Amino acid sequence: MGSGIGAAALRTARAFLWTALVLLALAALWEGYKALGDATGGRIPGTGLDLPIAADDQAMPHIADIIGALTEPARRGTDTSLAVYLFNEATITFREALLGLAIGSAAGLLLAVGLRESRFASRGVMPWLIASQTVPLVAVAPMVVIWGGKAGMPSWVAVTVLSAYLAFFPVTVSVLRGLNSPQPVHRELMHALAAGRVRTLLLLRFPAALPFLFAGLRLAATASVVGAIVGELSAGTGGGIGRAILTSSYYYSSAPENLYAAVLVAAVTGIVLVQVLRVGESLSLRNRSTAG
Amino acid sequence: MTAPATTTPRGTAAMTATDDAPAISLTDVHKVFPASGGQSVAALERIGLDVRPGAFVSLLGPSGCGKSTLLRIIADLTAPTTGTVTVGGRSAREARLARDYGLVFQQAGLLDWRTVRRNVELPLQVGGVSRAERKAQAETMLDLVRLGDVADRFPWQLSGGMQQRVAIARALACRPQLLLMDEPLGALDEMTREYLQGELLRIWRDTGTTVVFVTHSVSEAVFLSTDIVIMSPRPGRITRRIEVGLPQPRTVEDRTSPAYFETVTEVRKALHAVMAEEPA
Ligand SMILES: Nc1ncnc2c1ncn2[C@@H]1O[C@H](COP(=O)(O)OP(=O)(O)O)[C@@H](O)[C@H]1O
Ligand SMILES: [Mg+2]
Repeated sequence: MGSGIGAAALRTARAFLWTALVLLALAALWEGYKALGDATGGRIPGTGLDLPIAADDQAMPHIADIIGALTEPARRGTDTSLAVYLFNEATITFREALLGLAIGSAAGLLLAVGLRESRFASRGVMPWLIASQTVPLVAVAPMVVIWGGKAGMPSWVAVTVLSAYLAFFPVTVSVLRGLNSPQPVHRELMHALAAGRVRTLLLLRFPAALPFLFAGLRLAATASVVGAIVGELSAGTGGGIGRAILTSSYYYSSAPENLYAAVLVAAVTGIVLVQVLRVGESLSLRNRSTAG
Repeated sequence: MTAPATTTPRGTAAMTATDDAPAISLTDVHKVFPASGGQSVAALERIGLDVRPGAFVSLLGPSGCGKSTLLRIIADLTAPTTGTVTVGGRSAREARLARDYGLVFQQAGLLDWRTVRRNVELPLQVGGVSRAERKAQAETMLDLVRLGDVADRFPWQLSGGMQQRVAIARALACRPQLLLMDEPLGALDEMTREYLQGELLRIWRDTGTTVVFVTHSVSEAVFLSTDIVIMSPRPGRITRRIEVGLPQPRTVEDRTSPAYFETVTEVRKALHAVMAEEPA
């Protein structure tokens, strides 16, 4: 029943709280597993079998060490801490992902409208869309990077394209469902009012599709971050959290906690993007009976 | 209210003044639904119906006799298989495109994301009416259904009866000559239903709109209508047309008057005759 900006803010705060609780629980699991490994010497209790994942500090650094690594200098001979360095890199990734999400969603929205309004499009294009999503990203990424490089584009362009490539599909699928969601009674009402396709789209189908759009955007947001990171990994140049993950994995044996710190920051980037969208969703849908 | 429209010869009606021209005229309308399982359904057969302007006509009959199909043909939501339909002197399609009628279904069908006022504005918005004019017109209609004070609420905050009144206000927004209603009170509880029947009569008098009203309630049809059209199923046909002689304007007291019960009995008998023909 909640409506109004106050209720929306409350819902958002609750969502953040839950995220924090889940993170805490995951940390507890991590440390619990390590403690178990320490106690049994890396065996499953009661058996002589090794634990499925080694629990030593090399494979699984302590959470405290990972957090601690964030406060240390990022590289020998610099003053910037790892946290500041990773934050800067994450900002680059966040920007690429956000742009990719915007472009991908716009394309996804247009595609959904085309697929709904044109029988030809839905017959001819849909199979290709599905095929596009079954091609592994790691195979597409180098191609896009090479094309971008040949065209003399900076590397973030290719990264954004890959991010958009992953983002558009969930938006297309969700919005298409949303555009088709109005009930017969509403469609007949528009028909009886002699509303043409455009009016029906603007006054009925788009508003009805809005909750579906946000559901799709949430999926697209995480996908856009993944697309951006994989793009950065393939790019070979440029910045971003993907580059940071790559660099820290080179030095894994000497400083394993740095890789985990980078992965942690990458995850936080995705979470922040999804939460930003959630605020937008709560505000846009606050007057719907189904909001929340 | 002198001569019943049914006795007017069709040829003269078309030529004389528009006041005499029927609001709705159906000639020899058939409707066959092709069924996927092979056997097609003859939903309507040889339907001839004239409705005079300002009349309140109820289509009454058992479930499945084609009342909704008939209404949908008048509304140009379904095409007749054969036969001609004119609404306000034009074809049903032209009438729909001109937004000549308002439509109310059993489901209110309000848009969840629009306030009550903006729901009533919808037909005007589709018609390209300016924002200020829309607002003023919607408020007039909400006052007519006595819902002016909930204009800024959302549909899901209203009771079923209030939602249906919003749907009526929306149907009247373009000030149509004709109101088509398919069991609009069918989903409401008895008390709300009787209250809205009274309201509907008042709205009908205030607006002078012609009403075609689908129901399967005998008492509802008698209390509301000037004319009752009785239909029989398989195939759907018009078996009788009964003029309701109760005085206007009708009030709650009319529900208990001897004349009311006489008409109810007459209609019941006509309906039973229909059902008796039915092979059980
Ligand atoms: N779209 C349709 N397709 C096939 N048969 C239909 C369709 N609509 C109605 N019918 C059939 O036509 C007959 C009349 O239906 P309807 O007009 O809904 O009756 P009523 O409103 O009097 O209950 C029924 O037998 C019904 O099954
Ligand atoms: Mg019906």
